[in-house]
Amino acid sequence: MNALLIAHNTFREAVRDRVLAGLVVAGFALLALTRIASPLAMGEDLRLTVDLGLSGITWLGMIVVLMVGSSLVAKEIDRRTIFNLLSRPLPRSVYLFGKWAGLAGALSLVALVLAAALGAVVLLMGHAEYLPSIAQAAYLACLELAVVTSLAVLFSALSTPVLSALYTLGLFLAGQWCEDLRRFATQAPEGLRTLLETVANLLPNLPLFDIRTIAAGAQTTSPEHLALATVYAALYSGCVLLLGSAAFESRDFK
Amino acid sequence: MSTLVWELAPVRRRMLLAWAGAIVLGAAAFQLAAYAARTLPARPPFEELAYYPSGQALRPATLGHAETAADLAWLRAVQYYGEHRRSDLRFLQLEHVFDVLTSLAPGFESPYVFGAFALAQEGRDFEAAERLLRKGIERNPASGRLAFELGFLHYVRPGGRDLHAAAEWFERSTHLPGHPPTAARFAAFARQHSGNLLVALALWNQVRETTDNRFLRDIAEREVLRIQEAIATGRREHAVRRLTTPQVLLLPQ
Repeated sequence: MNALLIAHNTFREAVRDRVLAGLVVAGFALLALTRIASPLAMGEDLRLTVDLGLSGITWLGMIVVLMVGSSLVAKEIDRRTIFNLLSRPLPRSVYLFGKWAGLAGALSLVALVLAAALGAVVLLMGHAEYLPSIAQAAYLACLELAVVTSLAVLFSALSTPVLSALYTLGLFLAGQWCEDLRRFATQAPEGLRTLLETVANLLPNLPLFDIRTIAAGAQTTSPEHLALATVYAALYSGCVLLLGSAAFESRDFK
Repeated sequence: MSTLVWELAPVRRRMLLAWAGAIVLGAAAFQLAAYAARTLPARPPFEELAYYPSGQALRPATLGHAETAADLAWLRAVQYYGEHRRSDLRFLQLEHVFDVLTSLAPGFESPYVFGAFALAQEGRDFEAAERLLRKGIERNPASGRLAFELGFLHYVRPGGRDLHAAAEWFERSTHLPGHPPTAARFAAFARQHSGNLLVALALWNQVRETTDNRFLRDIAEREVLRIQEAIATGRREHAVRRLTTPQVLLLPQ
């Protein structure tokens, strides 16, 4: 119940933030730009719109995570509003979980709005066959943003906003490359291979949430993939939030 | 064990439980990541390197780090070559990749040489190979190495040597810094077997007089005698050999 209240407040705060509104407008502008640039795409304008539209969801979401998520806890510490909350019988893990759920919810809303706009554009172009793939890609983008948000919340609970933004961005980039790392591991000698595979499995496995390549061809992924991604996002976010809680519990605000 | 945990102070207990939960969930996520990598089909690649930007457009985006970007592009180019050399032997984006790379770092000579020979031999696109090396020479007019390599490209041209062009570039390279020590010999050899005996004679004489290499001097002396005899007897075939046609045999590895 407490977690829901915190989540609700965080969601409301994030939705009211001008950054979020600005990025939704930027997303619409990006979609409009793909239409304006379509004569330059040599007949691949639909692909351009779908590709950029889907990438836009992730990138704009990432900007929100970095700008809002990385200062989520630090801002409350600065304003001292956190003392009102933590002086109550409220476990810190619940507080962090609520913060994460609120921001992840706001990001999902942004992803939904942008995906709906993309779907509308594609529909207007007479290509309804793209809608299922756009819906799947947007759902996976929401999961990806939820995982990255958990990292931002973890670092935000432990460090300054600038540092936590840097750490989050670093892990986001490393997570995007973990498939390459795994591919590289197959070529490496035995000991190094095990090490690289371990690192690849420890990093957030973000390519699992990326079906943009097949979505650009109006193809959908398997239900097994969607289920795996969902469970993975829940486990990874849960693990990161619990790590954050363990560290946050020992933090002294005196 | 559980009683021990409950006897701890609440903060410590919550911390311990959080750590335990994190480890359990983390281990599950770890296993799931490995399982997903094993079972899910690999993502289909984009049309390979189709989005690789042009070098000129990329240069400003490197914010003054064009050389570093060129190094990364070089790594990618070599990988691209290796991947296709080991698989389908199709090099559709090779010229584009090397064009980007050499636009980023015009003074970086290795990509011109490597790219040109890969294009000519594996890519079977001699015109593109020549274009790349000529671009290098245009950007590095004082490079003896690039001039020599363009001569060598003509010398081993798949499907038919162009000894005249080869000799032209070999000779030019001998006047430039950085040419390999064998450039003069190659120039003389190419001139001789393209049928230009008088120039070949002058070049072999030059090799004989300037080289410190005993074996090379012997070769030069032998060729000078051979050419002089051919000119004196009017039997050109005595000095001019019909060289075999270079062929490239490629097998997937």
